[in-house]
Amino acid sequence: MAANVKQEPVEDTDLETRVLLMCHQNPEGITDALIQEDMPHFDVKQRVTAINRLLSTGRIDLLKSSSGKLIYKLKDSSSQDAVKGSDQQEKVVYQIIKDAGNKGIWIRDIRFKCNLLLTQVNKILKNLESKKLIKAVKSVAASKKKVYMLYNLEPDRTVTGGAWYSDQDFESEFVEVLNQQCFKYLVQKAEAAKETKVDPIAQRNSSYASSHDVWKYISELGISKVQLSVEDIETILDTLIYDGKCERSIVVGAGDSDKSKKLYRAINPVIQSTGLMRMPCGSCPVFHNCYEGGAVSPTTCIYMKDWLQL
Amino acid sequence: MSKCRTYLCKAVLKEHFGDLAEKICLYMINKGCCHLRQIASETELPLDKVRKVLTALIQQNVIKFEKTKRGVVEYFVDIDVLLWRHRIPKFIHCAKSLYGDAAELLVEDIVYHGQIMMSKAVDNVTSKLNEALENAGHQKIGSSIVHDKFSLLAGSHFIRQCINGMETSEEELDERDQSTLYRVPPLHSTGKRKRSIDDSEQPAKRQKTDAPGDDGIYWKINSRRFHQYFRDQMFIKAISNRIDKRASTILQTMLRLSEVKTDDLCFTTQPLSFTEIFQAIPLDAGITRNLCEQYLTLMVDDSTNLVSKIGESGGGMFVVNIMKGLTSLCKAHLESVVQERFGSKSLRIFKVLLLKEHLEQKQIEEMAMIPSKEAKELLYNMFAQKFVSVTEISKTADHAPARTFYFFRVHMDQLARNILENCYKALANAMVKREAETIEHQ
Ligand code: SF4
Repeated sequence: MAANVKQEPVEDTDLETRVLLMCHQNPEGITDALIQEDMPHFDVKQRVTAINRLLSTGRIDLLKSSSGKLIYKLKDSSSQDAVKGSDQQEKVVYQIIKDAGNKGIWIRDIRFKCNLLLTQVNKILKNLESKKLIKAVKSVAASKKKVYMLYNLEPDRTVTGGAWYSDQDFESEFVEVLNQQCFKYLVQKAEAAKETKVDPIAQRNSSYASSHDVWKYISELGISKVQLSVEDIETILDTLIYDGKCERSIVVGAGDSDKSKKLYRAINPVIQSTGLMRMPCGSCPVFHNCYEGGAVSPTTCIYMKDWLQL
Repeated sequence: MSKCRTYLCKAVLKEHFGDLAEKICLYMINKGCCHLRQIASETELPLDKVRKVLTALIQQNVIKFEKTKRGVVEYFVDIDVLLWRHRIPKFIHCAKSLYGDAAELLVEDIVYHGQIMMSKAVDNVTSKLNEALENAGHQKIGSSIVHDKFSLLAGSHFIRQCINGMETSEEELDERDQSTLYRVPPLHSTGKRKRSIDDSEQPAKRQKTDAPGDDGIYWKINSRRFHQYFRDQMFIKAISNRIDKRASTILQTMLRLSEVKTDDLCFTTQPLSFTEIFQAIPLDAGITRNLCEQYLTLMVDDSTNLVSKIGESGGGMFVVNIMKGLTSLCKAHLESVVQERFGSKSLRIFKVLLLKEHLEQKQIEEMAMIPSKEAKELLYNMFAQKFVSVTEISKTADHAPARTFYFFRVHMDQLARNILENCYKALANAMVKREAETIEHQ
């Protein structure tokens, strides 16, 4: 009898280790049917005990697969530590959030995945948040939408909008400052080229700066609190092209790198302001209402009067 | 014709020719071609007055006439010539800066008379110059100096002979006839000798042996040539702004070389070889062969597209791309309007649209890096003033806004035309204002 009593736990732990082994081999998770197939010599009761023990010690998870079946999955040791002492539901929610990575996951999707009630999910999220295990991040894509992700993760660009957003507000002043600084750098470069080089072509070529150069200059200035990437600077330089203040040329495979390099340089405008805009009518707000004998007319016009200093 | 253009015509007519001419011409502008009696009866003016006005304006090249198939003479206003009248001060200034005082006075005299014989104009100018010289205590000059200037002006096509509208029309002139339009008769010659060198368009009908040597040949200003000159100056200025002075000197040389060879409405100038260009550059510009090559490359690469290389022979063949150059300049002017009227952020949006053509609002925001709310405001402001337009593409037949894409774009041609209209109106406004001020302070 004693032997018998002793034997059972041995068998149970055996079963447990075998289940764990199976989970290891199938990180996607295993179904009940699979266990049964693999170990037909254990009966249902034994299986249930073993699995329950594994679940309660937090070594495997019970999840619902996409096809609707119940599956067992090996629990991450890391998440095991983080949510130690939490209850089962919390663990499930934590896992879902963890899987979402730094893109985050919307509360509706969490609910959908874990099949819990909204109030429950809310409570769990609050709990996890207060434990500083997860955080809520506002997405720039939709202002009302909050996404959850693990506390220690840096949110993805698509969520934060990149360097140009702080608290999902677009930092237009920051962009303008960078725009001006980049331009200043290019102008300096062009002026230096004018002074040092005699040949016009050499002058032009040395007035070009690569986006990497500009990036270095801006980083050294230290005007940005956030770390900017070269691509960020290229976006800014592009706005300078749209401002008509600089032009871009692309060289392919300079040196050993086979990537193409983007070069920028400041250019001079071809004209001063156009004639029409040098007289008041050009920017007159009532231009279309102005005619001889009308309420506004050239003869009575105050803009003209100021302009001619009459 | 557009309202603004008519408005400007009115202002020019009033300022240059007075109320009566204004009334008659406005009627003619609205009607198109009309004959003498029709004008008189519709404007309720006596026939001889109308006749006088028409004569004066025909003399000034503002009114043209033609004989219809039924043998009636019909009159119409040449609106371009009329509107170009406000450029006369520029014409005169241009002649002065190119060929000096005598040329200035010549152009002035020709403009004043509308059409005039060379001998008359030369006489007038000579006596005017001599008067001034005498007052200043200098020696008198002979008319041959003035005649030389006249030849210069004709040689560079700034003035041309008039043709008799009853006999030949402008379109019928072929190339050979074109060149005879600028042939200057000698200053002192008998009627007989003149005819021997004269061309076929001025048939010798009147046999007056005592007439001056150039009887029957009237000269007028060639506005198109002046415009061509102004256009070239614009290009030169643009390149000087964009690259530098020396580059503009090279461009100037290229334009000068093809000046009289190329028709003023050509898309590109005649091809010029490198050697040709280099040899024609003034020596004092200090441009070496190497520099010239480099500057040409720079201009070819420049985004204004003013100069293109079209071949390799003779050290490279180059043309000046008139059409592309004008398009770039036009763009620059439109951008300037946007900049002054809506500010630099709007200009950025505008240029994004110019470069990428069709865009949705979201894409514009991203490229211009302007926050959504602000971009919306700027964009719709420009939309309201017809600087940008919208194309709707709906996914469904009902055009429900939620299932429709809205693409913004800039229609350059349309916008340029609108801005031109605005220019007409602004110019007319300025003229009206000047008139009012003068009356007030008389
Ligand atoms: S005249 Fe005065 S009121 Fe009229 S369009 Fe010009 S600026 Fe405006």
